[in-house]
Amino acid sequence: MPDIVRRLGWSRSSTTPPIILLVRLFFLIVPLMLFLAEAEGIDIYATGGWGETIDASDLVSGAGSDLLDTYESAPNATAATISSCAGDTDNWRGDVRRADGTWHGDFTLYVKKTSDGTGTGSISGGLTYTAITTIDTQHFSGAGNRDNINLQYKLTGMSIHVSPANYSTSVIFTVVDT
Amino acid sequence: MKKLRGGLVVLAVILGLSSVAIAANTANQTVTYEVSAINEVSVSGDPGNLVVNTATAGSEPTADTDNTTSWAVTTNESSKKMTGSINTDMPANTTLEINLTAPTGGSSAGDMSLSTTAADLVTAIATVAESGLTITYTLSATIAAGIVAQAQKTVTLTLTD
Repeated sequence: MPDIVRRLGWSRSSTTPPIILLVRLFFLIVPLMLFLAEAEGIDIYATGGWGETIDASDLVSGAGSDLLDTYESAPNATAATISSCAGDTDNWRGDVRRADGTWHGDFTLYVKKTSDGTGTGSISGGLTYTAITTIDTQHFSGAGNRDNINLQYKLTGMSIHVSPANYSTSVIFTVVDT
Repeated sequence: MKKLRGGLVVLAVILGLSSVAIAANTANQTVTYEVSAINEVSVSGDPGNLVVNTATAGSEPTADTDNTTSWAVTTNESSKKMTGSINTDMPANTTLEINLTAPTGGSSAGDMSLSTTAADLVTAIATVAESGLTITYTLSATIAAGIVAQAQKTVTLTLTD
């Protein structure tokens, strides 16, 4: 018999009454079920994204001028949904970071919340642009489930000094049960 | 019974730590940008009439110049050059020259005669956005040209590799 089983006292000896075994089983199963329920955690889903093509039409005033520095997505570029909360008082925070593919050092990407979405839960913060770095930064927080939280992006740092190419980054939203 | 309690404590700690470790969830979105090659050139307008009608006694006729126009360029590429040409060649014994002021980092070829064959006017143009760069035209004619009727030429300036 494995030593750990003996240490936990879950082995059955010839003198262990069945009721004791049931009690032991109860204490084993209940925490496991609670663990499994908790392990599901709060979920976050996001749909949408943002793509932008920068060309001559983005020059400030035609030939001789530079490119516009700043670009904004549609206000609903991303719709995020937070679900599987234990209830309307189950607190969470929403963090955001980016993982670059081909990116340019002059770029700064921002995100802001343009709508609170719907649902019986609550949400706050995120109304102003937050710079998305490669480190998780809290953007908003709330409690309970919220559907279709609209998010808008902004990119700054564009200029003619950015070489023609395709640039991309993954924006990673993380919901943390607090 | 002590063993049971101890075991449960250990189990609770392990499960608790595991629970905390996976309580976060993530969603990804992709943000994509495409920056296209941008090569834009413009001029401010047409120069004034160039007329050769004077001379110093004993010399060839005096050339006429015009520097009232300018050009502008934006490019996000490197190793570009500006070339210039005219739609038809100049009459015999007359010359139309052009001189483009170079943008920062570029190199002007100075006065260049225009013909139907494109000539390099400015080279080494790279990632620049500048305007108000002077264009100077010079019309000259020798006495051998005789009297030349008024005519127009279309000057084509091209930003190319």
